[in-house]
Amino acid sequence: MKLFEYQAKEAFSEAGIPIPEGRLAQDAGEAREAARRLGSPCVLKAQVLRGGRGKAGLIQFAESAEEAERKAAGLFASPHGVRKLLVERAIAVERELYLSLALDPVAATAMFIACAEGGVEIETLAAEQPEKIVTVPVDLDWGLMPHHVRELTFGLRLSGDTAKAVGDIAGNLFKVFRATGAELAEINPLFVTKEGGTVAGDGKLVIDDNMGDARGKYPLAPEYFDTQTEYEAALEGIPYLQFDGDIALMCAGAGLTTTVFDLVHYAGGTVANYLEFGGPNYTKAVQAMRLCLKNPSKVLLVVTFGTIARADVMANGLVEAIKALRPTVPIVTCIRGTNEEEAFATLRAAGLDPLYETEEAVRRAVDIAAGRRA
Amino acid sequence: MSVFIDRNTSVEVQGATGKEGAYWLKHMKDMGTRVVFGVTPGKEGQDVDGVPVFHSARRGMKAHPAELAMLFVPPRFTKDAVFEALDAGIRKIVTIAEGVPLHELIQIRKAALSCGAMVIGGNTSGVISPGKGMAGCIPYWIERVYRKGDIGVMTRSGSLTNEVTAEVVKGGFGISTLIGVGGDSIPGTRFAELLPLYEQDQETKALVIIGELGGSMEEEVAEAMEAEIFTKPLVAFIGGRTAPEGKRMGHAGAIVSGGKGSVAGKVAALEKAGGLTAAKPSQVGGLLRQALG
Repeated sequence: MKLFEYQAKEAFSEAGIPIPEGRLAQDAGEAREAARRLGSPCVLKAQVLRGGRGKAGLIQFAESAEEAERKAAGLFASPHGVRKLLVERAIAVERELYLSLALDPVAATAMFIACAEGGVEIETLAAEQPEKIVTVPVDLDWGLMPHHVRELTFGLRLSGDTAKAVGDIAGNLFKVFRATGAELAEINPLFVTKEGGTVAGDGKLVIDDNMGDARGKYPLAPEYFDTQTEYEAALEGIPYLQFDGDIALMCAGAGLTTTVFDLVHYAGGTVANYLEFGGPNYTKAVQAMRLCLKNPSKVLLVVTFGTIARADVMANGLVEAIKALRPTVPIVTCIRGTNEEEAFATLRAAGLDPLYETEEAVRRAVDIAAGRRA
Repeated sequence: MSVFIDRNTSVEVQGATGKEGAYWLKHMKDMGTRVVFGVTPGKEGQDVDGVPVFHSARRGMKAHPAELAMLFVPPRFTKDAVFEALDAGIRKIVTIAEGVPLHELIQIRKAALSCGAMVIGGNTSGVISPGKGMAGCIPYWIERVYRKGDIGVMTRSGSLTNEVTAEVVKGGFGISTLIGVGGDSIPGTRFAELLPLYEQDQETKALVIIGELGGSMEEEVAEAMEAEIFTKPLVAFIGGRTAPEGKRMGHAGAIVSGGKGSVAGKVAALEKAGGLTAAKPSQVGGLLRQALG
């Protein structure tokens, strides 16, 4: 789960990484008050999870509390779903660095990635100037050692107090990374100030959904999701993505659902939602269908090829969901796998016309959505 | 010979007395797999379908040496169970659990690399050489999916494997060995690391890989083909061609980020290396016939 900037910075600060003095504001009045207390000039940073906030105008400078209030009102009214602003005292920046920790799935280590030029996206830098990037692998069982830090700071051509400060930040970033089981901990830009200090200008922290301890601190909330239905699906533990097309996918298995998603597009159709109720969720047909029906669609397409997630159990679940929710959209099914004969019988008894081939089922759903058949 | 598991491979099952473990242990045996002992702490002296159970892998190994450990263990105990098998001297491990913390997956892979072991999974249904041996939870009895033959299969997905493998069988072929490396972003063993096994295996004439968006495993296969580490015909189906960037499509590993991991890039790399790629599962059988001349 990707955290908001203010949460990442809180975690960084608790680990001893310097962050700019700042306050959280939930409306324009609070932004004005925050700016007054912090003093001008200040920066207003919209707390949204998308990248590229600068280009999207979601980061604004204000020279006074009045200007902060006016600009905050604009940000809250923007179409980006801004619920919170981080108001920070502006910093006199001498230079910007890039520093992050990620996992290397091939070498099976953690990996520091650093660059003497921060502020730009690391992907851009990696593509255009790979020679400027310093990488230092760190074995998770060995932990961070002084030579790793030296490798990093010499690689960045830092010296003196700045080298020491950046080294300390790297050590503390490693602590946060390990404590949250993070996929990514990033400081971009890492400011070196005109006074010679070092401050995390931004913070990105993607924590592991499977780390119970870290997750407990950040309970699921609607603000992490683009839509209410995505939030409700997450509460059920059902993978769900919202789109704006015609065909609601209620499929089982991540790989198969993704393939059905492709096949719908190849056949000229559009997807209303991606929903996957395989694995441990295969008995959750009622919840799955309820989520699909929250979204306007022209047809519900059910494709499964389950083994542990047995076909007969899925067919029973689907029929039960139809009885409970009485959907008005037509349903196309292609439920196969363990005990598929029983599944077919169950579906036929419920008045459905079960199909056996995924691509045929996709064609039928696309035809129904296009009004070519009922 | 087969790849990874055949009828002589001795297997121990950790988590043998659990609901899943006991159910699949029996199926593994019924298919002909040589299951020599089970492990459940506190249950030594019991048996599961005639297979003796021990407190630990080391205690079991003293009585019944095993080459392969099959783990039916929940995600929070998986790291310990893998290390227990390694400590007992086992160098082939299959783990099915989904949801093992990322840092632990890194540590598991690192440990395996360090001692020359191979950990298959997590988040997989396992490994099967039809008619010979199975380590996992694969319904070998579905004949139209798991018929014995001479096509190797490597996959990142369970449900999609059934879909694609059914097309292999429909095309008149069968499976030599199928290995599910799993849907996680940090699999214990990567596609390219299995290629030398399929290259050597005389019972494998061609290889099907079932990949998806995200990561770099398919690109690594293309590199191994370019380097002639793998020279047999290869057909790939890769899901997620129309997936939008930045969205995680079900599996933890299935996400395109920073422009990397796109299906278009994977398809281009594999085709350049001489592989054939199917846009739809139904094309796999025909491409195999084409590849095998």
